[in-house]
Amino acid sequence: MADSPVITNPYADAAERLKTLTKVMTTKAAIAQTPKELVWTLNKAKLYHYVPVLPMEKRHPVPLLLVFALMNRPYILDLRPGHSFVEYMLNQGYDLYLLDWGAPGPEDKNLKFDDYCLDYLPRAVRKLKAISGVEEFSLLGWCIGAILTTIYAALRGDEGLRNLILLTAPLDFSSKQKLTFARWVDERYFDIEKVLATFGNMPGEMIDYGAKALKPVENYVGSYVKLWDNIGDPRVVESWHAMNTWVTDNVPLAGGAFRQLIVDLYRNDKLMRGELVIRGERVDLSRIHANLLTVIADDDHITPSCQSEPIMSKVSSPDKELFRIRGGHIGIMAGSGASKHTWPHVNGWLAPRSG
Amino acid sequence: MAEDAGHDRKAFDPMDPWRGVRDVYMDAWAKTMVETVNSEAYAQATGTILDTYLTVSAPFREALEKAMIKTLEQLAMPSRADVLSIAERMTNIEMRLDDLDAKLDAIHALLARAVAAPPRKPSRGPQPTDKKAAKSKKAKRGKK
Repeated sequence: MADSPVITNPYADAAERLKTLTKVMTTKAAIAQTPKELVWTLNKAKLYHYVPVLPMEKRHPVPLLLVFALMNRPYILDLRPGHSFVEYMLNQGYDLYLLDWGAPGPEDKNLKFDDYCLDYLPRAVRKLKAISGVEEFSLLGWCIGAILTTIYAALRGDEGLRNLILLTAPLDFSSKQKLTFARWVDERYFDIEKVLATFGNMPGEMIDYGAKALKPVENYVGSYVKLWDNIGDPRVVESWHAMNTWVTDNVPLAGGAFRQLIVDLYRNDKLMRGELVIRGERVDLSRIHANLLTVIADDDHITPSCQSEPIMSKVSSPDKELFRIRGGHIGIMAGSGASKHTWPHVNGWLAPRSG
Repeated sequence: MAEDAGHDRKAFDPMDPWRGVRDVYMDAWAKTMVETVNSEAYAQATGTILDTYLTVSAPFREALEKAMIKTLEQLAMPSRADVLSIAERMTNIEMRLDDLDAKLDAIHALLARAVAAPPRKPSRGPQPTDKKAAKSKKAKRGKK
């Protein structure tokens, strides 16, 4: 006898779904749960040291400093227990630090890459060295954080930087046709001085709109439809809730840094052309000698691969690797496949270089 | 038994047949929208909307700002610019304190190393410096 389908009560089902939907849309998920200690602050920036989980003899001697973008919260690296890059790396024996840039206030509207790379980052590194008691360290930069770490590596690479990991790094802006952002911020259409005169800092909501508008249907409709379809699956709901908490927690970008990002990088591609000047010093990428791992997300619509590849031929690092992985800008590090692909690869590359 | 068999059956969802159609439609819509936002026309349109908003709102914003400054002046209260200036100076002070803190840490480390180092044993034979000192003492006595 053939099985007949079970008839469910669609109204009760829809009510339950709506309840879950309301909960995940109106509450914050418990994120960034890995124990950490605040070890240094400067203005809004904070340096955290994660509590090691392995005994000293099993740990890598070279500490790792994580640097995320300026306009998003860095806890995407420690999204939720059981699915956290930080947690994974601690379990692999790394002495882990995280630099949180914080949210700039109106008084920070003049902060530039110069300040972040030559005032904040070197001081955070100094503190890291003082705490860990070693002279060498590794840096991991993601997105705009990768721009900052690249500039730092070129200008202050001789301060003990052994390994540099760049994740989805927007460094080359020469392929204007492939960059939607570049089209939007073209000087014919986007008056940056007027925007910054009005807002001071670039509002987080505007940056968020820009990022989402690159794929409007996926971000404004598809994401919710996917949630609705899988709302009965607690794992999907938990994951969506955590990601939504992060996505909706926007941070403004300091006006000075935003101006440099648009004018010096998006419009004039100064970093790759060797014309970027940071506090009087020209950023020469050939001065980067640290071991380099560049990670590219093949389906990245925010930082297409053409923006990250060219650095490989510019640096002087004798030890360098380009790693391509399927996934999006955030998905490669925070998506469901991150723990199977990206994290083990990063660890596999870094571990032998951290001894 | 009957209940168990019921659990194994796939639940009937009247919306299921529509999902396939919806997904196909959404895919097509997503592709069209990506093409749209990638166009020069979209960049120009959003630029114009933003520019218009900023231009239209500027006089109101400036008027409000001026009125606020005057009000605060009348009330002998610091303006927004005053507060921002203090905040900037605080950051500079914080940076200097951080440098001082690092220098103090370095001095502490040096002192700790010096204290921890074993004291030097006095050598048996006379040191060259001792000879020089003796000579100078003799010379002083001679002068007297």
